[in-house]
Amino acid sequence: MTRLVLVSGKGGTGKSAVAAALGIASARRGDRVLVSSLLEAVGLAQHLGVPALDYEPTTVRPGLWASAVDRPGALDEYLKVQLRVPKLAPTGHLLRALDLLVETAPGVREIVTIGKPVYEVWKETWDLVVADAPPLGQLESYLRAPETLAGLVPEGAVREQAAAIGRTLADPQRTSLVLVAVPTELAVVETLEAAEGLERTLRLRPTALVANRVLPHLEVEPEAIEGLRNSPALEAARLHLELEAEQREWLTRLDADVALEYLFGLHTPPEVAERLADGLEEVLP
Amino acid sequence: MTRVLVVTGAGGVGKTTLSAALAKVAADAGCRALVLTVDPARRLADALGVGELGNEPTPVEGHPGLWAAMLDVTASWEAVIHHYAEPEVADRLLVNPFFRAIADRFPAAQSFAAAEEMARLVESGAFEVVVVDTPPSGGGLDFFLAPRRTGELVGGRLLRWLTGAHLPARRTLYRITARPVLRLADTVLGGPLLEEIAEFLLDLRTMYDGLRTRARTIERHLRRATILVVTTADPTPLREAFRFFEELPEVDVHPDVVVFNRVLPGTWIEAADRPLRGIPDPELRAALRHNLRRWAAEARRHELARRSVAERYGVPVAAVPWLPHPPATVDDLPALLEGATGLDGVFDGGGGTVPSRP
Repeated sequence: MTRLVLVSGKGGTGKSAVAAALGIASARRGDRVLVSSLLEAVGLAQHLGVPALDYEPTTVRPGLWASAVDRPGALDEYLKVQLRVPKLAPTGHLLRALDLLVETAPGVREIVTIGKPVYEVWKETWDLVVADAPPLGQLESYLRAPETLAGLVPEGAVREQAAAIGRTLADPQRTSLVLVAVPTELAVVETLEAAEGLERTLRLRPTALVANRVLPHLEVEPEAIEGLRNSPALEAARLHLELEAEQREWLTRLDADVALEYLFGLHTPPEVAERLADGLEEVLP
Repeated sequence: MTRVLVVTGAGGVGKTTLSAALAKVAADAGCRALVLTVDPARRLADALGVGELGNEPTPVEGHPGLWAAMLDVTASWEAVIHHYAEPEVADRLLVNPFFRAIADRFPAAQSFAAAEEMARLVESGAFEVVVVDTPPSGGGLDFFLAPRRTGELVGGRLLRWLTGAHLPARRTLYRITARPVLRLADTVLGGPLLEEIAEFLLDLRTMYDGLRTRARTIERHLRRATILVVTTADPTPLREAFRFFEELPEVDVHPDVVVFNRVLPGTWIEAADRPLRGIPDPELRAALRHNLRRWAAEARRHELARRSVAERYGVPVAAVPWLPHPPATVDDLPALLEGATGLDGVFDGGGGTVPSRP
């Protein structure tokens, strides 16, 4: 059975890096895995070390494929394959009318987008599909889209399709949700609020919370450097100790399942993804 | 004349704190200064006393000259509609099931409301300095693009297709060619969705003229403002910062300075290659040296990021040092700017002029 992992998190916490790393970790253990970007494809492409991503999956390395969901492509597939809209004469007008629908009706754009990784799951050709999902602030509107649509359309293909997508997303045997956070006040508070919101409105619980950029412990007692003559080494130690203490507070609050270590210095995006993959095996379904 | 500083950039880079610090420094210099903020961290909100207050500027207790206002972004679309639509149309729009969707879908409305609030406060002439902390939508870009986009949404190409080339002043029947297509699409979709949407958009369209005029005024204010793009050396906010240079020329707005926040001292880089002196304990010495090397690598990364921005866009770059503890009180705010470089001219720059470097 194909499993789906949705990766989300506050912007700038390393969501795309973690999505890429999960794909890499899964491929390393011999899975056939697809990583798909749902909104902004740039970050995922960079972390996978490819210049760009297409709507159709392309091979990144043995076992690992990647794709990006773009609106025109997704809308086209949604209409032709999923809703089986017949090829009609005034296609131009019809497409514009449907574009209008996607622009305006609540839930339609979201269903078209989040539907894509779900179809990939339905195909049963992958072991794992990893979706680099929309950031935390928009995640709920995507996950709630099937419900939103059901409230809007009384019957017909759109409604049935939405319900089927909703069932896959809500099935814990199929779908897991990974939230990425960094141990700062802003990120932790927002992540916990979003997780609460998802549980309240959709009864959906994150399968794993991943803490990213966690500083390694510095084996220096603050008292040991007190009174020493000031120098860059001491400044760096003080900064580290204070940041570590600050992080510890927010890590406790977050209660993450996995902690990924801070990577010091310059790393290319693919290097970052490789390194993070080492720590993510336990998050894989 | 009011000096406007727009502090923008990706979420999480410290814009809000920096905005408050700039306003506090201006107030301390004897100006009547307002910080217009969106979503401050709780401690800072409490410190500023804006936690429960609405859009109206309020003096910050114990800090003469400093005023703060928090923008209520949830009410923003309603405000826009009430302001620009005729009462009966507004009532119809606000209960329409598509309205919520548009409001959620188009977070630029928050930004439009924020930009309009800024314009209103600048036009009031009540402040010498207004520091605006931009809403997070679109990585801050929406604040600049929203006036135009809001107009485009309301008079957009889809509406033009529905109604023909003309902008109707009132509800009109949509174009004869559009209707059968909408019907056909609705049959496929299983509900009268598109016809309803068309009706809704036609209502929305009536606001077009008012919105467009206001959008132009707001854009004029933005062109006169000093624009600070805040970032850290991390790839995501940096990528967002680049977008201001790629996309703002569209509305003839140009960032004045890129502010790097959480900057590490350049002195660490060289020091990491020198032996550590004055630390007798070999274990402690080794630990400190190892730690300095890690952080020196970070400092080097920061330096490269600053240089790449300066070279790429020929823009002045400012640096604000990394404080391990973000300021939690208004009194702590000026300390943030004490070690900063490249920010001296921001209060007298603006509108394309280059702030002086220290």
